[in-house]
Amino acid sequence: MKTVIETRDLVRKFGEIVAVDGIDLSVSEGEVFGFLGPNGAGKSTAIRMLTTLLHPTSGEIYVSGFNVVTEAADVRKVIGVALQDAAIDPLMTANELIRLQAVLHGISRSEAKKKGGELLERVGLSGAAARRVSTYSGGMRRRLDLALSLIHEPRILFLDEPTTGLDPTSREALWDEVKRLNTELGTTVFLTTQYLEEADQLAHKIAIIDAGRIVRQGIPKELKENISSPTLRVDVEELDLIRAQDVLDSFGDRRPAREGRAAVGLDGGATRLAEVIRALDEAGISVEHLELDAPSLDDVFADATGRRLEGVEEGNE
Amino acid sequence: MNKVDTAASSTVIKNFFSQTIVLAQRSLVSELRQLATVLPGLLFPLLLAFTYTEQFERVLSLPGFPEVDSFLDFLLPATVLQMVSFGASNSGTELALDIENGFMDRLLASPVARVPVLIGRVAGSALLAGIKTVIIVLVFLIAGAQVSSGFAGFVVLTLSACLLVVVIGGLSQILAIRSGSQEVVGATFPLIFVMIFMSSAFFPTELMSGWFKRLAEFNPLTWVIDPLRRLMIVGWSWSDAVTALGILLLGAVLVTGGSVLTLNKKLGRP
Repeated sequence: MKTVIETRDLVRKFGEIVAVDGIDLSVSEGEVFGFLGPNGAGKSTAIRMLTTLLHPTSGEIYVSGFNVVTEAADVRKVIGVALQDAAIDPLMTANELIRLQAVLHGISRSEAKKKGGELLERVGLSGAAARRVSTYSGGMRRRLDLALSLIHEPRILFLDEPTTGLDPTSREALWDEVKRLNTELGTTVFLTTQYLEEADQLAHKIAIIDAGRIVRQGIPKELKENISSPTLRVDVEELDLIRAQDVLDSFGDRRPAREGRAAVGLDGGATRLAEVIRALDEAGISVEHLELDAPSLDDVFADATGRRLEGVEEGNE
Repeated sequence: MNKVDTAASSTVIKNFFSQTIVLAQRSLVSELRQLATVLPGLLFPLLLAFTYTEQFERVLSLPGFPEVDSFLDFLLPATVLQMVSFGASNSGTELALDIENGFMDRLLASPVARVPVLIGRVAGSALLAGIKTVIIVLVFLIAGAQVSSGFAGFVVLTLSACLLVVVIGGLSQILAIRSGSQEVVGATFPLIFVMIFMSSAFFPTELMSGWFKRLAEFNPLTWVIDPLRRLMIVGWSWSDAVTALGILLLGAVLVTGGSVLTLNKKLGRP
């Protein structure tokens, strides 16, 4: 399949700080590509470079075959962009914003009216189209933002943390829309997210970024399979924690866990669970809670970085 | 140039104008939807003008003061300029707001050229300043002021107000692009306000003395206010009209060029 987004040794520095540190990406046409990482990992910096808003310090970026620095104008014609925080003028109505966005893309008034109507219908905002955006909820703003980014029927859509801060229902509505765009129209979607579930739900391929570097890249299923053993997590009393971890260590490789928990990659999987419990019991440790999970993207992240993304995510909620 | 090129460039020009117009519309509409921020900028200079007229009516008899029937006649250009200074720094704060909340990114990630993004916003404010100038002149006329150069002088005054918006608005946009912060832009407003007082706006330079006189004479606002005022109180003069508009036009071109360069530099800097 044709590669539509490609970066080569992409670097971006802000003074001394290296926000993006030599990343190589390759996204094929028709793919949903998830760029997963914690806050401050460099996701937004990367997406700003991909969408012509920021020049790289070094390295190359090609979007739809155009060099993002030297052929920025051509890139802007083929991409749709919805950046973090749904930047929408609260004093304007959805209809006015659609018209503005259409004119920016050189679309005629009559066409803008027709297509804008369809788009607003599609994202469920027809009824609110004449209302000022200041009266919109967070979910409505995101959906309007998505509609605006689609007015010129872009082949490639960039979404920067499209569902951060949304309630679960709004989040799912947006996921459905992204899936529909991808399957019905074949739009290539590049999205950044700090939500594991979002990457799992939407992305055909993901790259995990941490501290400006890509630490894993591939198909989520394969990445998970590469972490062979499931993760066993055990909650015990605080005083027993160190001893519990010692016991667990004899069953496989230690896995990073949230505070107050011991975790291990259980070699041999569920069949050895009884053995673990017996060993903990013999050591005089009472188990408060225990869970065994098939490898998740969080395990992939933890395996690559030694930290968990999930705790970070919860901390931000 | 072959046919394809000609067609392409005419599309580019067409898009350029429609983009500027739609962005100017946006800026005008959003100002009108925040009347609470627009009205003080109109009312305050008027209030000041009438207060001054009451307080300083007697300065008219000072030797060397231009011959006018009322201090109000003398104050018309200053009042318009003051109104402009209120509205114009708005373009900067609004642009800073666009940068802060990311609306600017939406514009820049679309195929719109840089110039419409910048002049679109100022053009909206300029149009609004034009409308406000008409209101101020009408209020002054009702209060008994006279425009000696008639309708032509009135047109020059209105155009001057619009151009001054482009100059001050452009300067505050440069600041907005460089700082990306509304507060920084807002904090410079008093500077413009003081610059008006340090010009011949409220008092003729001929009657000033010492360093203040030199400062006022050096102040570009004085170069614009003096010819405008002669148009108001003496009568029509081509050279006054051309001087006022010429200085402002030059300033507008320079500042707009500067803001485009600043934006390009900001975006391009690795």
